[in-house]
Amino acid sequence: MPALSQIALAQVPLGHNGAEISASHLGKALTVKGRLETTGIVHVDGHVHGQITADRLVIGAGGYVEGDVVANDVRIGGRFTGRIYARHVTLDGSADITGRIFHHTVTVAKGARIDGRMPWRPLNFFERLEHLREAQ
Amino acid sequence: MNMFTRNDKSFDTTAGSMTPARDKTDTSAAPLAEAKRTQAPAATPTTYEVATPQTRVVSVISKALKITGQLESTEDIQVDGEVDGDVRGVSVKIGSNAKVKGTVYGDSVELAGTIDGKIEAKKVVLTSTAHMSGDVIHQDIKIESGAYIDGHCKPEYGKAANKNAHATAKPATTTSSAPVKTGSVAEFGQRV
Repeated sequence: MPALSQIALAQVPLGHNGAEISASHLGKALTVKGRLETTGIVHVDGHVHGQITADRLVIGAGGYVEGDVVANDVRIGGRFTGRIYARHVTLDGSADITGRIFHHTVTVAKGARIDGRMPWRPLNFFERLEHLREAQ
Repeated sequence: MNMFTRNDKSFDTTAGSMTPARDKTDTSAAPLAEAKRTQAPAATPTTYEVATPQTRVVSVISKALKITGQLESTEDIQVDGEVDGDVRGVSVKIGSNAKVKGTVYGDSVELAGTIDGKIEAKKVVLTSTAHMSGDVIHQDIKIESGAYIDGHCKPEYGKAANKNAHATAKPATTTSSAPVKTGSVAEFGQRV
């Protein structure tokens, strides 16, 4: 839990631990129903129905995630339905999003489809997220 | 041989003053050629090595990832993390530090980590670091020395569907691996 805030202060979302960082890849044929928790990177090309907690989440162009996401850094190129809580959000042109994106900074590429709100939050909002998430 | 010696001579005779320069080029050319030779085989294995894991292991659950729920894939899965739920794949590999609590289904399952549940697979491999608590339903099993099993090994995978086909085809292969299998099963049976 303190790790997430420390990462944010360092402002290095990727590879802050060098070799120690662990990357998971969910291939396009993989469907996960349930909760994913990691301190590393998750790359989703398949389907996830459930909650994801990660340092960095990448949803590939063919990926689909339905549920809540708590992460430091989120990049979406696929479909997403639900809520995102992330300090830095990047939406690619192929992104298709339904829901809310709680963010501190956001980048949206031309072509992205967003159905929902994108509320801005101060950085300390995300530090308290762990407690919010557990309460939900 | 004749041709080579004749060529060498002709070079020497035609440009005696240029021999030092040519020697330089020759010496520089020789390492280059060697370098090329060494690079070429070195380059092919590296690309091969890089290509194989990408094509073979499609999904990776890394060691820091914990999944609570089901995983289902029509491709291969490599689990190095923790899964609390069932895993379904074609070729499933459970890494040495991985933990799975639930049933692992697949065409082939290779276990080097811990499973607390069940394995249902056509081909099962338990490596020396495997820790299996629960039954193994298989058609073909390999158990390495050092593997821990607390459960039954049953050669019943796909029994209902493949009963007739394997009644005739299987005996030859099963008898070859039977002594090891039955021995180990008996030992574990006594222990359990």
